[in-house]
Amino acid sequence: MKLFHKFKIGTSLPAVHPPEAGLYHFLRESDHQKSRLHLRIDPDNSGLLMINASRVFHLNPSASHMAFYILSETPSHSAIKALTKTFNEPKQSLLHDFETFHQTIDSLMNDHVCPVCDLELETTAPFTARPTAPYRMDLALTYRCNNACAHCYNARSRNYPELSTQEWFTILDRLWNLGIPHIVFTGGEPTLRDDLPDLIKHAEKNGQITGLNTNGRRLKNRDYVNQLVDAGLDHVQITLESHLSEIHDKMVCHAGAWEETVAGIENVLKTRLYVMTNTTMLTHNSPTIPQTLNFLAELGLPTVGLNALIYSGRGKTVGTGLAENDLLPLLASAKEITTKNGQKLIWYTPTQYCHFDPVIMGLGVKGCTAALYNMCIEPDGSVIPCQSYYLPLGNIQKDDWHSIWNHELAVSLRERKHLPEKCATCAIYHECGGGCPLTFENENQLCVEEQ
Amino acid sequence: MKFLRYVCLFLVLAVLAGSVTPVSAQDYRFQVPEQSVVVTINVDGTIAIDYTMTFQNDSGAHAIDIVDIGLPNYQYNLRSITAEINGQRITKITDSDIVSPGISLYLLDNEIPAGGSGVVHAYITGVADVIYPATQEESEEYASLQFWPNWYGSQYCYGNTKYQMTIVLPPGLKESEGRYFIPENWPGDSEPYSRILEDGRIFYTWESDQANGYTQYSFGASFPARLLNEGVIVKEPYVPPSDSGYSGSSGGFNFDLSSICPFIFCLGFVGFFALMIYSATIGAKKRKMKYLPPKIMIEGNGIKRGLTAIEAGVLMEQPMDKIFTMILFSLLKKNAAEVVSKDPLEIKASEPLPADLYAYETDFLDAFKETGSKRKKLLQNTMVNLIRSVTEKMKGFSRKETIAYYEDIMNRAWAQVEQANTPDVKAQVYEEVMDWTMLDKKYDERTTEVFKGPVFIPAPSWWWRYEPNFTRPSTTVSMPTTASAPSVGTSGSRPTISMPNIPGSAFAASVVNSVSSFSSNILGGLTGFTSGVTNITNPPPPPSTYRSSGGGGGGGHSCACACACAGCACACAGGGR
Repeated sequence: MKLFHKFKIGTSLPAVHPPEAGLYHFLRESDHQKSRLHLRIDPDNSGLLMINASRVFHLNPSASHMAFYILSETPSHSAIKALTKTFNEPKQSLLHDFETFHQTIDSLMNDHVCPVCDLELETTAPFTARPTAPYRMDLALTYRCNNACAHCYNARSRNYPELSTQEWFTILDRLWNLGIPHIVFTGGEPTLRDDLPDLIKHAEKNGQITGLNTNGRRLKNRDYVNQLVDAGLDHVQITLESHLSEIHDKMVCHAGAWEETVAGIENVLKTRLYVMTNTTMLTHNSPTIPQTLNFLAELGLPTVGLNALIYSGRGKTVGTGLAENDLLPLLASAKEITTKNGQKLIWYTPTQYCHFDPVIMGLGVKGCTAALYNMCIEPDGSVIPCQSYYLPLGNIQKDDWHSIWNHELAVSLRERKHLPEKCATCAIYHECGGGCPLTFENENQLCVEEQ
Repeated sequence: MKFLRYVCLFLVLAVLAGSVTPVSAQDYRFQVPEQSVVVTINVDGTIAIDYTMTFQNDSGAHAIDIVDIGLPNYQYNLRSITAEINGQRITKITDSDIVSPGISLYLLDNEIPAGGSGVVHAYITGVADVIYPATQEESEEYASLQFWPNWYGSQYCYGNTKYQMTIVLPPGLKESEGRYFIPENWPGDSEPYSRILEDGRIFYTWESDQANGYTQYSFGASFPARLLNEGVIVKEPYVPPSDSGYSGSSGGFNFDLSSICPFIFCLGFVGFFALMIYSATIGAKKRKMKYLPPKIMIEGNGIKRGLTAIEAGVLMEQPMDKIFTMILFSLLKKNAAEVVSKDPLEIKASEPLPADLYAYETDFLDAFKETGSKRKKLLQNTMVNLIRSVTEKMKGFSRKETIAYYEDIMNRAWAQVEQANTPDVKAQVYEEVMDWTMLDKKYDERTTEVFKGPVFIPAPSWWWRYEPNFTRPSTTVSMPTTASAPSVGTSGSRPTISMPNIPGSAFAASVVNSVSSFSSNILGGLTGFTSGVTNITNPPPPPSTYRSSGGGGGGGHSCACACACAGCACACAGGGR
C-alpha cells in the first residue's frame, strides 16, 4: 500500500472530497492538554486512529470517514454532504450518527477518560488486528554505547555499520509513506549520534511522533536537552536501575553513570517532554525496587516502567534474571507504591500468563507485539522483528515492504506459530501469546500445566 | 452526410453498450463444489451456525479475497465468530458492507487465487432472536426455526454443489416430538434423515449432489417450546433497519454490486445507451458504500471473568438489600455464620471463621457485631468498599460484555434448576446455583414457580443456620434428633448429614422474603441507605455525554486499561508512551 499524503499540522482539507487511503496527522491543543492524532485509512476504508502514540482504535469505514472530517474540522454541513455522496444512507441518519460520533472522538482525546470503562467502547480480542505496517518503528541509530550493561540485550558488535543522516531521512520518509506514525530512536545509545536533533526534526516535520530511549547521561547537558526539545521530540524514556548509585553503576558497568543519568532526568523534567524511566528488574536491584520507585516519585517522574531481563545478547548468559513466577510480589508492591505516589506504572515484558498474569495484576494486557505493532531498524537498515530479536527480515533501503512485513519469521511471530500445541487450546491464547519468544526460546518453557 | 454521421454515432454507441459491462461483475467467477451448514439450536434460544464451503475459483477470475456471510439479524457478536481458510485462522472479521446483517471474512494473505481452490470454515455462535412461535396446531406450544443458508449471485457462481444442511434440535426432544419443514427450492429429498448425537440430541440432515451455490434454499424445524428457556421465543417479527437492505432472508449473500436506476428506461434512445455506459464504468467506480453506523473499537479483554456472584450483582447494579442478602446466604452456606433471630435479624459469626472469606463477608460479619446506627454505618462502608473493589477489578474490561456474560451464567443456572426432573434434584440443584439465580430480577416469582405445588424437598444442609427454629440435623441417617451442629464423621468416611423434608413452598417463601426483610429490618429503608453509599462512590457519568475536564498530560493516574497498543503492550526495552 502506498500512502502519499503528508499534511502539516492543523491544515484544513477541502471538505467535499472523501479521504483517500493514507496517513493523516492532526494536533489538538487546549489550555490543559495536547493531543496528537494520526488517522490511518486503509484502501478498504477501514481505519486506525492513534492518539498520542499510545492508544489505538479500530474504525469501520463510516467511522474512518467521520473521524477524518471531525479531525479536519470540516464544517458539519460539508461533512454530511460528503458522507451522503460516499454512503448509501439518508442525510438525517448520517447527521445524527456524525454528531454522536463527534462526542466520542472528543472524549477519546481526554487522557483521563478510559475508552473501555467510561465510554464502553466495543472491544476486540487483543493482538488480533492485522495491519499492513506496524504502528511504531524503533530506529537503532547506532550500537555504540557509553555504558556497558552486564545484561545488555544487544547481540551485535558495538562498531556495527551505520547509515548517514540523509539515509535516515529517506527511511523516515518511507516509514511515513507506509503509514507508520510513531518513531522511537534507540540503540546502543542514540544520543551518541550528533545528528539526532536533525533526525527528530525531520520526523516531526513529516508528522511523526518521536521518542527517545536513552541512558540519559548526555541529557545532563541542559543545552543538549533544549536542542532535542526544540527539534520537536515528544517523549523520552531514561533507564535508571536503582536509587542507589552503587547498584546502578554496577549494573551498567560504568562508574559515575548514575549521577549523570539522574541529572539528565532532572533536566528533562523541567521541559515539556513526556518523561518516563525504565528499570530492568534483576537480582541486583529487585530487593530495593520499592525504594527506587519512591526515589523516582521524589524526583517527580509521572510515569515509571519496569521490565524483566531480555534474553538476548548478554542477557542470555548474565544469569541475573528473575523467574516469571517471582514477579508477582514485586509487581504487586510496585503497583501499590506507584498508586500511592500518584504515578502511572507501565509493565513492559510479555510473560506467559500461567506464570504471571498482568491482567489479573491490573497491569493491562501485555503480549509480544514484535512484527505486529512495532519493529526495529538496525544501524545498517536491516529490519528486525523488535529491538531484541536479531534476525533480519530484510533491509528497509532495498527491499519491498511486502517481503519484509510478510517474511516467514514475521508471520510466525504474529501468528504465534512457535508455541506448543497446548497453548493453542488455551482460553487466553490471544492475550498471552506465550510471552516473549526470546524467553521461550532461551528457557524452552512450557505452560505450568505441562510441567 | 449528417445522416451518415448519426448512423455511425448510433452504431458506435450500440457496440459500446453491448460490450461494456460493470468491471466488477466480470471479476468474480467460481464454483462451490461442496457446502455444509450446521445450525444448532440452544436452550437459551440462540443458534450456532457452522459453515464449511469449498470454493473453486475460475482461471482468470478475481481472487476470492473476502467472503461475505449473511446472518439472520444483527443479534450477533463479532467476538463470538471464528473462521479459517484452509485451516489457517482468519484474523479479520468485520460487519459486512455488502450484505447486511452479515459479516465479512477477509482472507488476506490466504485469498483464493484465480484457478485455485480453498475451504472456508466459519463458526458463528450466540445468534439470538431467531426462534419464533410455530403456527401448526400441536397438543402443546411449539417453537420453530426457519433458516435460509448463504447463496451467491448466479452471475458469479455456477456449477453443482454437494450440499448438506443439518439442524440440531434442542436437548430433551423426543423423537416423536420433532417436526421438519419441507425445504423450498431443494433438489433433494424433502424428508431429512434423522439421527441422535452422542449427547442425545436429535438432528435432521438434508443432502443432495444436485444442489448449487446460487439458489436460495429454505429449511426449518419445530419442537416443543418447553425445551427452551422461558422468554427466548421471539414474539414480534424482526424488523430490520430501513437501510439494511435486509431482504427477509436469513442468510443472503451476493456480490451484486450493480443496480441500474429503473427510470433510465424512460429516457430517450441515445440517453439510454449513454447512461448504460456511464453506469458500467464511471458509475461503478463512484458507487456508494453500504452504510453501517460508525463503529470504533479498542483491543481489550472484554469480559472480566472470575467475579463472585455478589460482585456480579454489584456490577449489574442490583439493589443493595439483595446484595446483602446474597452475602448472608453466602456466609450461611460456608458455615461462617448463623441467624440467631430473624425478626429482628441478628447474626452470629462462627468460631473459628472459615479461611476463605472475602473482604465483604468479613466486613458484613463485623457490622453485625454492632447495633443500631453504628451497624448501618458499617454496612454502608461494606457496600462502599465492595463497589470500589468491583470498580477496580473492572478497569480495562467491558462492563457491557461482562454483564452479558454473568447474565448468561444466571440463565444457565436457572435452566439447570428448571430442567431437574424431581423435586429432590431440583432442590439440590437450586441450592448449588442459588448464588447465581439470585441475580435474576424475577428471582422471587421464578423461585415460587419452581417450588409451587404440594412438594416436599430436603432442606439445604445449612438451613438450620438460616431458620433458627429449624431443628438442627444429626449425623445419623434419616431422622434428626439432637440439637448439636453437624460434625465430621469419626469413621473417616465422608460426613453425612440427614436433612428433613420441608414444604417447597415454605422454602421458597422464606428465601424470597429474606430480601425484603433485610431491607426493612436492617437497612431501615433502602432509599436512604443507598444514597448514603452512592454519595461516596459517585458513579461515573453517562459515557455518551462525557466531556473533557482538562488536566495535564504526561502520566499520573490512569486506568490500567486492557488496551493492547504499541505504546505499552510490549515495548521490550521500552519505547512506549
